[in-house]
Amino acid sequence: MNSDRRRINAPSGGTSAPVFARTVKESGYLKSLRPSRTRGPKELRKIFLQTGIVPSASGSAYLEIPTSNSSTKTLIPSQSSLKIICSIQGPKPLPRSAPFSPCLLLTTTVKFAPFATRTRRGYVRDSVERDLGVHLETALRGVIIAERWPKSGVEVVITIIEGDEDGWWGDDVSSTGVVGGGPGAGSGWGLLNVLAGCITVASAAIADAGIDCVDLVCGGVAAVTRNSASRNGQRQGAVQILDPNPSEHRDIAAACAVAYLAGRDEITELWMKGAIGADPEPLIEGATHAAVGNLSVLREVLLEAVEAKFKGDTEQEKEISKSKSSVQDVEMTG
Amino acid sequence: MAPSQHVQVNLSPAELSYLRSSLAQSPPIRLDHTKGPKDFRSMRAEYDVLPGANGSARIALDDGLEALVGVKAEVEKSQRSPRVDEQEHRLTVAAGDMDMQDADDDDTKAKGQNAWVEMSVEIPGFRDEDALPVFLASMLTESLLASGGLKDRLYINRRFHWKLYIDILLLSPALSYPLALLSMTTHLALLTSRLPALKSEKDEDPLFDDDWDASVPLYPKSKGKTKGTQAMDRPPVIVLAMAVDQNIIFDPCKEELAVADAVLAVACTDSTSSPSGAQVIAIRTIDPPSHLTPLGVPNAMNSATGGVVPASTADAITQRELLASSDVWTPPRGGMKRALVGQIVKAVVEKGGVAEEVIQALQSIDVG
Repeated sequence: MNSDRRRINAPSGGTSAPVFARTVKESGYLKSLRPSRTRGPKELRKIFLQTGIVPSASGSAYLEIPTSNSSTKTLIPSQSSLKIICSIQGPKPLPRSAPFSPCLLLTTTVKFAPFATRTRRGYVRDSVERDLGVHLETALRGVIIAERWPKSGVEVVITIIEGDEDGWWGDDVSSTGVVGGGPGAGSGWGLLNVLAGCITVASAAIADAGIDCVDLVCGGVAAVTRNSASRNGQRQGAVQILDPNPSEHRDIAAACAVAYLAGRDEITELWMKGAIGADPEPLIEGATHAAVGNLSVLREVLLEAVEAKFKGDTEQEKEISKSKSSVQDVEMTG
Repeated sequence: MAPSQHVQVNLSPAELSYLRSSLAQSPPIRLDHTKGPKDFRSMRAEYDVLPGANGSARIALDDGLEALVGVKAEVEKSQRSPRVDEQEHRLTVAAGDMDMQDADDDDTKAKGQNAWVEMSVEIPGFRDEDALPVFLASMLTESLLASGGLKDRLYINRRFHWKLYIDILLLSPALSYPLALLSMTTHLALLTSRLPALKSEKDEDPLFDDDWDASVPLYPKSKGKTKGTQAMDRPPVIVLAMAVDQNIIFDPCKEELAVADAVLAVACTDSTSSPSGAQVIAIRTIDPPSHLTPLGVPNAMNSATGGVVPASTADAITQRELLASSDVWTPPRGGMKRALVGQIVKAVVEKGGVAEEVIQALQSIDVG
């Protein structure tokens, strides 16, 4: 039903990841590879953002968080990063068969490329990707002024070329001898980063498409980590960090992703999980700080894009007027 | 194409505006005017309804919404990679002290895996891959796995574990947003599910006591039994709250959701470690269906009622924007204020708050 019938697929169970000889022979080697956070707790990763990269779409954007240090020691990169591309189709009229809609219908599609994460993703969207799509839709629905486009629809299509992992690969190998048994496996910490990236890049693409919005929406992530030394004490040694990279942290207690409208101080999407305790507000505030950080980049990029566009327009107009004045008597041939 | 068709209500803009203004009053007047903002719909609940399942529950709300949950556990072989086994052997031969310690450390740590709990949600009229069932299943799974206590209890030994299948069926059509109901039914089913008592030791093939009276509850009853301070005693419960203007309303019905400014689902569990109130383990915003409602046309812009139709689209837009503060229905824009999130969460988790009330009510069903 939900399986891919059009391609010859590998067995669904997959194979176990290779364990390299050196990690087995040298006892401390695997430990020495563990990445650690070199940024400050409030320091965000640098992001690269560009709009208007898909000419055929009405709006598009690309977001990348470059890998900070590419260690050449192993084949497997120690840290994952983020590469997301978003394109927007529409607003366009709904098909004739569709029922009347008083407002713009938003469809969001989030898809991991098969090679985006360490475990391969299929071609058909799985439940995680559909869930991300719902989150993204919630984030964008409140931002778009939908009533200005009755009887029309817009599609936001996001492809994740590289996504954040849920934990460090070494944990999968070393813990309890069970395949995929790392503490991070399936916890979905990386998904929060992916969602925040999706929100930011979709916001840029929507602005590029020229769809009316109430404000620029931006994604941000914050997390609370436990220090491994005081793992037994519940809140002791809990540190709040912005923009966590899950592979750098062994023990994430709680994390939160928001879609934040800085101009209105409002949240359109909140996704929070883990042992949050009774008061989620510090974590939400941290995530909004991260979102504001991303917003500054988003603003710059959009401003640049607009400047480039108008500069191009004026130059074109000049050229057109020039050509009109100088080459007026061109005979049409053919 | 519209994902939230199930909650689409056929109310006119005038009706929506009326409903909203009555909900925005202080105190709010709800659709069922006998209920306060924190009152839930009344329900009938029973547990152990399915003889073939390890635990089951059925809850019917008085508005016709009904859900059935079955919990089944199976013994499954843990997948082990042979190479890592070799690694462990070598380490014992080489007697690398550091790593032996490391291995021991790992043994005492969390051994459960997230993949050991599988959940499926079935809602009539929806396919498995539709947005609503997927969203509900992931929210329920996420809150269930957040504490980590459950998946550790599924560990039998190094070679075997329990695999828990939680099947959630909505028996009635989705009349209103069913998240809270499904979560309460799952809570009750998990609370009453039992696993056969283990007789074998250590890494032997697991052998179980066939006496059902000797079986152990999945969620241990007495608080002393759970090891460690982090262990949560009871399964989580999800509370749905919506905001209209300054008011916070819990357990909204379908029509009330259609005028909400924002909807929030808060998953919480009552903790043994902290003395006061409940602990939040997951929060998600839910897209309020009010964004899809038709907007009202004021008399001043309607030629049928003596108004003047705006000449151009730009003109129409400016006139619309000026209407924002009037009573003419316009779908809400933007999200929720940050302070509001805090207020909702506080109302849920505080001592004697909504979460505690719900958890205690479900507990008393089990006891009584």
